[in-house]
Order: sequence, then structure tokens, then C-alpha cells
Amino acid sequence: MGNQMTAMLKGTLEGVVLAVLAVRPAYGYEITARLRDQGFTDLVEGTVYALLVRIEQRGFVDVVKVPSEKGPPRKVYSLNAQGREQLEEFWRTWSFLAERIEQLHTDNTDNDEMEK
Amino acid sequence: MAAKWIEMVTGSLEQKKQWRQYKARVKALPEPYRGAANAVERYFMVSGSITVDGETLVTMFSDLADLWERAAADGTPVREIVGDDPAEFAETFAQAYSGKRWIDKERERLNKSIDEAEKGEPK
Repeated sequence: MGNQMTAMLKGTLEGVVLAVLAVRPAYGYEITARLRDQGFTDLVEGTVYALLVRIEQRGFVDVVKVPSEKGPPRKVYSLNAQGREQLEEFWRTWSFLAERIEQLHTDNTDNDEMEK
Repeated sequence: MAAKWIEMVTGSLEQKKQWRQYKARVKALPEPYRGAANAVERYFMVSGSITVDGETLVTMFSDLADLWERAAADGTPVREIVGDDPAEFAETFAQAYSGKRWIDKERERLNKSIDEAEKGEPK
């Protein structure tokens, strides 16, 4: 993954993970696997786990420990009211940014065409 | 080194007990997870990228042990846990914990100093 992709993903991954959890509760490995299936192929489990820890510390998710056949219990994360608010905020910020950047893109393209 | 370092940052017996539990969990891990866990732990000790609040510290290491045990149980390759840049992983992980780091205090101090300096500016 290029540097630019890594940097941009870093800023948006929290919103992305909250969005995944808004669909249904999941444990760390499931979240990573789901995102990898959706094209975030270079995403690693440790990164997602670190993020889950952070959103847990900030109170955006509720955590339930579910016994597992082998190994330690799995921590299942579900979005709570505070997490939903945070996700709403993320979508607002994202829409604003995407719109502004797309506008710049369109302006650039128009300029290029006029020069031709 | 680790023992001395932990004495410095944790005051309570409960935290010492939790630290010993973490060490025992790491010791019980199969390779290559044990080696990876020790390497990440060492990095935290020397890099100064973690909080110095003992309670946050033991929570963090206990969460790390969960991660390694889960990876060992699922057979997840070590590289899929830490990614291409393990130091970056370690730092992101440490930043997830809300304890105050010395740099946070220094940031506050800088902000206050600039506020003070601003007051002296001609209007």
C-alpha cells in the first residue's frame, strides 16, 4: 500500500470500523476479515485491534466476552449510543471533505480542458 | 531490566500481580508468538512511546496478551498482526491508551507559553 493510502486510511479507519460495527456486532478478526473482503487488502489485525482498544477506551462500543472453543474468550464489540453519535459525526465530516475535494478535482479538470 | 522498570512505574501490589500474570501468559505462548510478544514489549520499554501510569500500563499489556493468545489460537501469521511496519503498529497501539505521557504535559506547557506570549503582542 502506498504512503498516501496509508496516511489517508489512518485518518478514516476509525469511522470505517464504526461503520462496520453499525451493521452488526463483531469481534476483531471478523472486522478485519470483512474489511479485507471489501478491498482493504493490506489491513492487518493488529491495526484494527489497536483501534478497537481506542474506541473502547473512548466509550464508543460495548464489549462482551464470549467463550471460544479454543484460546481465550473473544471480545465482541457493539456500537453504543455514543458510538452512533461519533459515526454520524464521521459521515458529516466525510461528506464535507469528499464534496470539497471533488469540487477541486472538477475545477482542475475544467481548467485542463480549457487549455486544450 | 524489565523488573526494575516496572517497579519504577507501578506502585501497587495488584499491578505487580497483573504484570506477573502478563509475563506468565507470554511465557506460555507458542513460537513465533512468544518471540514477537517479547520484541514488542522490549520496544515499548525502550521507545518511551507508552504512558507512565501504572494502571493503564497493565491494562495495555493485558490487552496485548489477549491479542497474542487469540492469534496463536487462530493461527494468524505474526505478520498479519503487526503489518509491514511493526514499530508503527506498536506506536499506534500505545497511543490508544488514554494515560498521560510526558509529551502531553509538554504540549500543554507549550500551548500555555504561547498564550502568555500572545498577551504581550501590540494590539
